[in-house]
Amino acid sequence: METVQNGLEEELMSHQSGHPPLKMGIDIPNGKLGMWLFLGTEIMFFTAFIGSYIVLRIGSQGWPTDVDVTHIRIWAGGTNTFVLICSSVAVVFALEGMRSKDFQLARKWLFVTLMLSFVFLGIKSYEYYGKFDHNILPGRIPETESQALAFTARDLRAATGIVPQTEKLKRLETQMAELQKKGRSTEAVQKRIDAQQKVVDEITPIANKVVAINDRVKAGTIELGLAAEHGEDAPQGHSAAETSTTEKPAAEHPAEEAGQSTMVTEVARLQKENPDVFGSVQVPHPIQYGNLFASCYFIMTGFHAIHVLVGMFMFVLLLSYGSKLSSQHEVFVENAGLYWHFVDLVWIFLFPLLYII
Amino acid sequence: MTDEHNDHPHVAYWRIFGYLCIFTVASVIADVMDLKAMYNIYVLSAVVLLISCFKASYVMRYFMHLKFEGGWKYIILLPTVVLALAIPFALASDIGIHYYDVEVPQQNTLLEKEIEQIAKEKAEEEHHHGDEPAEHGGGH
Repeated sequence: METVQNGLEEELMSHQSGHPPLKMGIDIPNGKLGMWLFLGTEIMFFTAFIGSYIVLRIGSQGWPTDVDVTHIRIWAGGTNTFVLICSSVAVVFALEGMRSKDFQLARKWLFVTLMLSFVFLGIKSYEYYGKFDHNILPGRIPETESQALAFTARDLRAATGIVPQTEKLKRLETQMAELQKKGRSTEAVQKRIDAQQKVVDEITPIANKVVAINDRVKAGTIELGLAAEHGEDAPQGHSAAETSTTEKPAAEHPAEEAGQSTMVTEVARLQKENPDVFGSVQVPHPIQYGNLFASCYFIMTGFHAIHVLVGMFMFVLLLSYGSKLSSQHEVFVENAGLYWHFVDLVWIFLFPLLYII
Repeated sequence: MTDEHNDHPHVAYWRIFGYLCIFTVASVIADVMDLKAMYNIYVLSAVVLLISCFKASYVMRYFMHLKFEGGWKYIILLPTVVLALAIPFALASDIGIHYYDVEVPQQNTLLEKEIEQIAKEKAEEEHHHGDEPAEHGGGH
């Protein structure tokens, strides 16, 4: 006899009529109950992130929403929503297949689900690539003009490669000193030192140009010079109108026109002079609350992606049974399905929260 | 509906799928229509989150078969809802709603500019003051 879900009354009646004994507990398989309890904790896990995001978002005036700034692509999010809905349907049909003992059909739908999850992750990684490409990473985004200046100065310094090259030179010199102490031949090392010295000597004049800019950044006598192209009502620089409010006695730089040249013009000049060195350097737009945005984005979509991976693992496991897939795996398929629907549910909320609002 | 109380509820899954797709398209339309520009962000949020709630309820009721499950579902799921709401409420009073002025690096540029502006006005005012006493400059 199939057990009935309608609770105590019927069970008591059946008990009285002497058939199955009174059964305590919830009338579902233990595995399924376990999965539901786990999903309960999962709800709290994700709502903690989502809730924090909403609160942070409300509390931060000027949160970045411009798609040119955030590189959030609604078509990507929308397509992924569709893909997950399709995969949810697929997994539901897989369970139907299991229940009607058509295991061939079940395997087919499990395979479809797995393929769709690959599509989802593919689109997701394309989006992540875009974020990395535009340096939209937590803690790396300049949020104010001074941060953007510092960011560019660091970028310029790194582009010259002066630091690693001089370090290499120093390493060689210590090596040389050790060899001398031991009284060994230093000829080979000396050659390398000479070569390295040449490299450093070549870089030094270029690096000195950057040092000059760096000093101006430190002294606060240079402005970013990026107009508010990105439309946002973020407070941008003092506009073109010269506001030399704090005429600091700028350390004697070869720049009488220190007030005029901005970071943008300086970088352009450097790029013209040494295109192979500074070609990749860009002056970033400050993005207010960009770091908080990136943190929220990556923590939510990242944990969601991890959940997708776990779900894929379950489907691979189920498919690995091959033709041995049978009724005994029905609860497994149901649990994998429940978990997968939950992953879909989370995305259903992440999509509007991250891509639309 | 009580007739469906058995282990193998038959649901028109493709129809649910259709609803979910329609809802997804609807939220994309809400984005394209730019409800934020038409009204404000609250209208947009309300619309798209409501759509999400509908979608979620379809997935939970039919795909996860919660509609056909026993009363235990409430015991497991309702407490999580309470805890889910607890975090936003706990954080909102400090981080979401600002009673005092916010002092964060992101807003400091604003502050700096304001301070500069005030200093400038003051300097101008003083300048005027020297010329003609008892005159008070208007605040532009």
